This record gives sequence, C-alpha cells and structure tokens, in this order.
Amino acid sequence: MSRSQYVRANYQVNATPQLKMLSDDQCENVLNGALEVLERTGAEIHSEKALEIFRKGGCWVDGNMVRFPSHLVEWAIRSAPSRIVISNQKGERTMFLEGQNVYYGPGPTNTYTIDPFTGERRRAKKSDTVRAAKVIDALPNISFAMDCGTVMDVTPTLSDVHAFQAMLENTNKPIIHWGFGIDQYQDIIDMAAAVAGGLEALQRDPFILLYSESSPPLRHSGEAIDKAIFAAKNNIPIVYTPCTFSGGVAPATMAATLVIAVADSLVGLVAGQLVRKGSGFVMGGLISTMDMSSTILSYGAAELSLLSAGLTAVARYMKIPMFSTGGCSDSKVIDTQMGIEAAFSILIAGLSGANLIHDCGYMEYGATSSLDLMTMDDEIIGMVKKILGGVLVDDEHLALDIIDKVGPGGHYLADDHTMAHFREFWAPTLINRLRFDGWKAEGSKTMAQRVKEKTQDIINNHKPEQKPESVLKEIQAIVDRAEAREANKR
Amino acid sequence: MSNYYEEISQNVITGQLDRVKQLTQQAIDAGNDPVEIINQGLILGMSVVGARFKSGQMFVPEVLMSARSMTAGMDMVKPLILSEDIPSAGKVVIGTVKGDLHDIGKNLVSMMLESAGYTTINVGVDAGPEKFLQAVKEHKPNIIAMSALLTTTMLSMKDTIELLKEEGLRDKVLVIIGGAPISQDFADEIGADGFAPDAGSATDLCKKLLA
Repeated sequence: MSRSQYVRANYQVNATPQLKMLSDDQCENVLNGALEVLERTGAEIHSEKALEIFRKGGCWVDGNMVRFPSHLVEWAIRSAPSRIVISNQKGERTMFLEGQNVYYGPGPTNTYTIDPFTGERRRAKKSDTVRAAKVIDALPNISFAMDCGTVMDVTPTLSDVHAFQAMLENTNKPIIHWGFGIDQYQDIIDMAAAVAGGLEALQRDPFILLYSESSPPLRHSGEAIDKAIFAAKNNIPIVYTPCTFSGGVAPATMAATLVIAVADSLVGLVAGQLVRKGSGFVMGGLISTMDMSSTILSYGAAELSLLSAGLTAVARYMKIPMFSTGGCSDSKVIDTQMGIEAAFSILIAGLSGANLIHDCGYMEYGATSSLDLMTMDDEIIGMVKKILGGVLVDDEHLALDIIDKVGPGGHYLADDHTMAHFREFWAPTLINRLRFDGWKAEGSKTMAQRVKEKTQDIINNHKPEQKPESVLKEIQAIVDRAEAREANKR
Repeated sequence: MSNYYEEISQNVITGQLDRVKQLTQQAIDAGNDPVEIINQGLILGMSVVGARFKSGQMFVPEVLMSARSMTAGMDMVKPLILSEDIPSAGKVVIGTVKGDLHDIGKNLVSMMLESAGYTTINVGVDAGPEKFLQAVKEHKPNIIAMSALLTTTMLSMKDTIELLKEEGLRDKVLVIIGGAPISQDFADEIGADGFAPDAGSATDLCKKLLA
C-alpha cells in the first residue's frame, strides 16, 4: 500500500477498551479520607509486636489504639514497590503485577465444596485441593492457584500446610496462600524454598504470595498483622486484605466503604514497610455490600464490581499492585444467575485493570467452591481477554487494498488476508455455536452439562508436570515436622 | 382516655425512637399498666416487624431501628415493675469464641433476640470456655449462644461444652451455635443443642428450644 505525502500527527490510540471508575481527583479524595481516618480515628491492633513496630515508627500508640501520622503512611506508600513479578514454580517470571496487567485465579478457604462427580455440597478434603490444583493447572486462563476450600480431613491446625502440599504436588502455577499463624507460614515458606532451590532463590523469583485478612472496620488481629510483619521480614510479598462490606463493617455508602478498605490496607502496608523498606505488598480484597434481607456479604452484587473497580483505581493511583475479585456468584447451583454474576464481575474487574483477580469458582456468597464454576469462568475470562484486546486499527487491519481487490459483491473467505487474521477471533471451547442439528446430534447438552464434562475430564486425565522425587520428599519432611510440632502443642 | 398502645406499636414499627419514648412516657403518666404497655404496645409492634422482615418487606437496618426504639421504651417501663413481672422470653448468654474478633454477626443475633423479648448477656469477643462458664454461673441463663467466623476458632465451641460437662452444668443450660463455618452436622458432632444459619432463625431456634 502506498500513500503520497502521508504524515500522521497527534494520533491517539485506544489499545484497549477504557474503564476508569474514579478520576485521579476522586482517588486522591478517597486516599485523603483514609489518611484522615488513620490519623484521627486510628486502628485497633491486637499484637504487642506490631504495636512496638508502630511506636518505634512514629505512630501514636495508646493501649491497642494506633493513630498514624499521614506523612508516615505516605512514606510507606512511596516505599512499597509499584511492581512485583511473580514466577511460576519453575522460576519462570510469568505474572507481572504492574500497570494494568490482569491475571485471574480462584479463591481460598471456602467452608464447603461441591463434589464435581456427585454434586454433593460438603466440607473439603485434601483430595479436593488435589483436584482443584489439577483443574487450575489445566485451565489456560487461570494464572495462579489458591486452595478452593479449607481442608477438613487433616490435623485442623495444619489445614493450610496440607492444602499447600496438595497444590505444590499438582500444579506449577504461582500460588497465593494463607496460614493460620506464623508457624504455618514458616512451614509454607520452607516448602516453597524447597521447590525454588533455597530461600534466596524464592525471594529473588517468588512464586508464592502470602495472604492475610484483617477484621474491618479498623481492627487487626494479632494473627493478621503478625503475618504481614513475618512476610516483610522474610522478604516474601503479601496480599493484605480487609473484607469490607457496605452497611456492615463500613458505612452504607460506597465512597466510605472505599475509605475503610484503603485505610485497613494501609495499616498492613505501614507495618510491612517499617519492617523492611521495599517489601512486596499487594492491597485490595473483597469489597461489596451486605444484603439487608439475608445479611450475606454479596459476591454477585453490582456493587461488588463497582467497589472493586473503585478500589483498583485508588490502588493504581497509589501505584500499589491490586488484588481484586471476579468470577464469583451468590447462586447455589450452576444456573443463569451464576453465569450473569460471574461474567459481569470478570468483565468489570478485567476492564478496571486489577492485577490479581481472585475468587473464580466461588459460589453461594463464597461459602462454597465449585470447580465447575471455575471451568466456566475460564471460558468467560477467555472471552473477556479478547474484549480487553480492543480493536486494532492500522494499515494491515484496515486492509483497504484487500477491500479494493475483492471488490463489490465478492467474498473474503479464501483470501490470504483472511487466512492470516481469522485466528485472531476468539474461539470458544464451551460456549456452543453449533447449528441446531449439530447441537442435537451431540446430545442437546446445556452449558452446565458441558462444563461438568470438561471438569471431570480434566480431573480424570490431566497430568500435571511432576516435581523431582527429592523435592517431593523434602516437602513431605516439612509436613511431618509440622505434624510433630502440632502434636506437641496438644 | 387513650391507652397509646396502638400508637406506640406503630412507632416501634417505623423505628421512631424519640416518638416511642414520648408516647411511653405519656402512657405511664396516664396510669396505664406497665406490663400492658410492654405486651400490647412495644412487643406487639416488634412482632409485626419480625413478620415483615421474614417476608422481605423490611430490611435489617430498619429492624434494628425498631429494636432500638422498643428497647428505649422498655427501659422506661421496667423500673415500674417488679423484676419477676418483666416479660422475658428467656435469658441468653452470647459471645464470639476464643481467638475470634468478629462480632457483627453475634451482635446482630443479640439485637434480634432482644427485640423478640429475650434478655441477653453479651460476653463480647475472644471469649474462652472459662468466660462462658463464669457467665453461666453468674447469670443462670436458659441458653448460651456461641459464634465463630473462622474454621479454626469454631473448635473452641467444643471446649466450652466439655467444660460445662466437667462442671456439672451442661444439663442446666442449652447450647446453640452459629457463624459462617458452622453447620447442623458440626452442632451434632460437638453435642450442641441447636444451630441457626442466620440471625432471624436464631430467634426461632430459641423459641423452639424453650417451648
């Protein structure tokens, strides 16, 4: 293609669709609100260790109450890295938590899980986390692993350690994982170090993010804040998440809910930065509304998407990587409600540019995990990623020469240009686009049936890449050590 | 002479705290029977609220405003009655178990119980077996209600039940449990007398157990 005198100036491109829930001015407003809350109201801290760190760092400490001077919080925001790179378990840098990069994955610690074969809703077993890790490993749009349910058929205080072992043995994707306390966190880091080839290798190319939840509003248990301190000490990035819901643990307005969520995240951030300047910190967490009839914390509400995108905007404004939510539902079965809620939350979280988007596979307001839903989410994410790719506009994609060559009334099916580009279209794997007769010939299956078959097929046939025998032995030894320790405590 | 009951009841339903206090005072000044003010005014209004909440016509914050209005009226009437004459559906000691700081659910249950006419003794958060035991000894409740949000802390519920057994008090008090990770199976497993999945049904459970 030739054009004479073709000069382009001040040409602006939308490489992706745009969604910015809050302007920079609004973000600043929310952040200032959080700084004011921390300086004026303060936070309740239930850890002597943390109180001492805050006191030494220049906070006002009065009993359990800590008030934070704004300059200290602002220092901590600047001192935390704006980008954290997470590797897979083979040391390959796969997740770049920076800018508006988006990675989806499941969630932790559901009380129940749906058995993908019997459909029974029951407490999770270690074998369920094995299944979950296999499904996570096989699904291309699930970028990291979480446990998908608290394992109940092991020593209760080592549920976290056993779930971590189950994940290590069945996937090589990065893992975000929780722990009951510091002892278990140490077990988890030791196991991860065994995989990475030593603690230093793990710190250089971390494949784990530790996960800790505070208890909003403005209350931080010893376990929660001590875990943030432990992560910073060990130089392992942490996701520090309050679970903030409008009308319950925050005022019934969305702006105020954002203020509480930001303030509670900042408490963890300050603790970590005071322990080790520059330690990796990811903010965010579940943010939604309380349903005022049932009192559930809604995982399917429009406000979950609005608030998550709002919090993502504030995190981006602060240049702190963000942990958001999507792919979840309040529904109790695979049905239309589940599809609607999962799709909206995946789309909005994706458009918002949150770095880590968790809770794919969460149903029944988070009480139950479903591998079927995670499989369906994988398909939705594929669709959303295509949407996030936007419309490419350049000479090759405008294809004016091809339009001229084919001319009026022609077709493009057999053109070289079509051959070169048609695979850019997103191709579904579960969404059905067969003609009626073809669909009937394949058994007239619903989406739910196709999802179930795919999940079962993965569990039965997917073979995750195995780790060396020596590494597996080392992991087992750490689990045995933990068992001995817990037995002594009893 | 108006006995004000209908108007008190209406204002409990709409959660008009100041108006309920005003009307209750007027009813007292007019010489109405305090027990009647409670039963035919304050509690009658609250029972309408309970029914409307169940059918989805009213929402939690509205129920709490109504409960607060009712309690304010009760506080004015109670000093006029001998304590044994104060209508009470039963006495409940309620708390969040050891190691757990989450109390919004527990407080909601507590308010719902009070609005249904129960007397509650709130032992707060991070309450270990000894704290429940002490409250049982001190207050002699009909029921103790334990709450937990975490799968780790819920195990402490069993310890409380065991301690009550050791102290020979287990058959003197009913034990009910609730919270996100709790199920009927778990209640059966640790030997609790009941489980309720939410605040509204906790009240129903207490009614059923004390019937």
